[in-house]
Amino acid sequence: MKRWWRGTFGLVAAVALGFALATLVIGVVVFESTHEALELQLDHRIAIETQALIDEGQDGHEGVAAAIRRREAASSTASLGYRLVDAANAPIAGALDATVPSQPGYVELLPYKADGEERIAQSLTTDLPGGYRLLVAADRAAIDEMDKRFILLFLGAFGAMLLLGIAAAWLVGLVTRRRLARIDQTATAIIAGDLSRRVLLTGSGDEFDGVATTLNRMLDRIVGLMENLRQVSSDVAHDLRTPLTRLQNRLDEALRERNPELQREAIEAAASEASELLEVFSALLRIAEVEGLAARAHFQTVDLSAVVTDVAEVFRPALEGSGLQLVTSIAPDLTVSGDRRLLQQMLTNLLDNAAQHTPAGTTVCITLESTRDVTSLAVTDDGPGVSEKQAPELFNRFARGDCSRSTPGHGLGLAMVAAIVSAHSGKATIAPRPGFGVHISL
Amino acid sequence: MRILIVEDDADTNQFIARGLAELGHQVVTSSDGRDGLFHATDGGFDAMVVDRMLPGLDGLALVKALRAAGNTTPVLMLTAVSGIADRVEGLEGGADDYLVKPFAFTELAARLHALGRRPSAAAEPARLTAGDIVLDLHRRTVIRAGRKIALQPREFTLLAELMRNPGRIMTRTMLLERVWDFDFDPKTNIVETHLSRLRSKLNAGFESDPIETVRGAGYLIRDGA
Repeated sequence: MKRWWRGTFGLVAAVALGFALATLVIGVVVFESTHEALELQLDHRIAIETQALIDEGQDGHEGVAAAIRRREAASSTASLGYRLVDAANAPIAGALDATVPSQPGYVELLPYKADGEERIAQSLTTDLPGGYRLLVAADRAAIDEMDKRFILLFLGAFGAMLLLGIAAAWLVGLVTRRRLARIDQTATAIIAGDLSRRVLLTGSGDEFDGVATTLNRMLDRIVGLMENLRQVSSDVAHDLRTPLTRLQNRLDEALRERNPELQREAIEAAASEASELLEVFSALLRIAEVEGLAARAHFQTVDLSAVVTDVAEVFRPALEGSGLQLVTSIAPDLTVSGDRRLLQQMLTNLLDNAAQHTPAGTTVCITLESTRDVTSLAVTDDGPGVSEKQAPELFNRFARGDCSRSTPGHGLGLAMVAAIVSAHSGKATIAPRPGFGVHISL
Repeated sequence: MRILIVEDDADTNQFIARGLAELGHQVVTSSDGRDGLFHATDGGFDAMVVDRMLPGLDGLALVKALRAAGNTTPVLMLTAVSGIADRVEGLEGGADDYLVKPFAFTELAARLHALGRRPSAAAEPARLTAGDIVLDLHRRTVIRAGRKIALQPREFTLLAELMRNPGRIMTRTMLLERVWDFDFDPKTNIVETHLSRLRSKLNAGFESDPIETVRGAGYLIRDGA
């Protein structure tokens, strides 16, 4: 269901309509109070004039009549009209052509005639002694004129405002739709398979650019992950082809062999190839599992100093047996939140590497230290090392240094180290020549 | 031993059953969790092999139900994933040992044998004896034919582990788990290195070597050496 009022046009139009309604209410209130104020002013004028007439004609209706005549003669009656009648309603003075109300007080809409025209006036009737009544009236034309102008002006402004509001709503809707259409186009293109597409930025740094930047970063990340996945699967396929071929060759050999002794040997060789393959798969699965961070669920505080000391001592005899020297510098009582077995494996893999890829006489150093909140572990050696170009690649699966091509292994040890380090929210770097070193900060 | 196998994969089931039968064990197989639990509660088994993922009732629930009912038959649990967290869960759930698929049959057999006769921690004697070697777990001393032998702590633990299972093969991974607490296999031959050190200390001045290397399987200490 399409709900137009939820769109940008609808929202802005609704806001504009709201403003218009509020303006209308304000207009009515202003009109009412202005109108009222003008009427009051008129009343006030009439009252003052009435009082002035009575004051001038101190000696009763004669004096008042004289005052009226004086005023009419001076033609100062542009807006005010007078009429003085006796008890029998017979006119005494004043040119105002209107019926004097029988009751004293204000009459807001009093009809009268002027120049043969029906007009409306505001009036005040006052009783004078002897049954005389004085009527002072002011024409309402001024007020009516004012009202008319106000209404006209207001309606004009109100209409303009409504038009502007609708125009603004349309414009904002148009701009929003356009900007969103760009994002939509990009997304559609990506769905269609063009993963290299990115949302174009206007460079204005506005909200749309903000969203677009975030979306682009998300796309980069997804593409990176997909690339990684593709790389891993093609690496796996590539690196497993060799041992699988060897396995097949061994089995072929076994099938052809007549001599039971040699046949058994071939089968044994095939079985060992198969178990090596399974080992690679287990290692890959384990790396994937650690990368999946499922391990974090059971992280505990681990005495890293103890783990490192322990693993170092476990390896010492084997390393020294192959003519290597092991030097340790381990700060005591350093703890991290993690998985003890994974940390053990991390160090084990590093020491395995040192044991396998360095010649006799090499010195291997394990350093564990802490600076403020960073715990750093380094396993370094002064062996042949790797080139600067190769160093960062060694954390990838199946990556192997030039010197290690001939030694046994699958190139998964450092990939596992990298996975364990990142599961512990740490950072690992490889220092290239001279020697070889892996520096880990947790 | 009378062994129950609860495993839904027919190939694996048969592979284990045949292998164990060849070793002279009496084997009962089941391919379903509920059926397996029914057999297990029936009793009379010396050990069980239970797959973690089973139809009907999963392996972990099976073991939990069994333990809740007071059955203490040793259980070796199998799992298809390395399950870093699974392992802890399995052992806490009442399994006695854990083996990740794929595994070598010798590994499974060795672990089952070790399970089948493992005394509970409380019932373990303070002294272990194998041939002319006496190992005192409390005083942490080793005496061979009346002569005291000084060992490093790790070498002592290694010897103790072998002597807990006299005459039975202890595989490399079993020793790594029990002596070094590693649940992975380092490339560096630390087991071999430590064993050769233990051997040289143990055999200094003696003719015979009580520790036997079983090629492709592991090590064992001779019962009556």
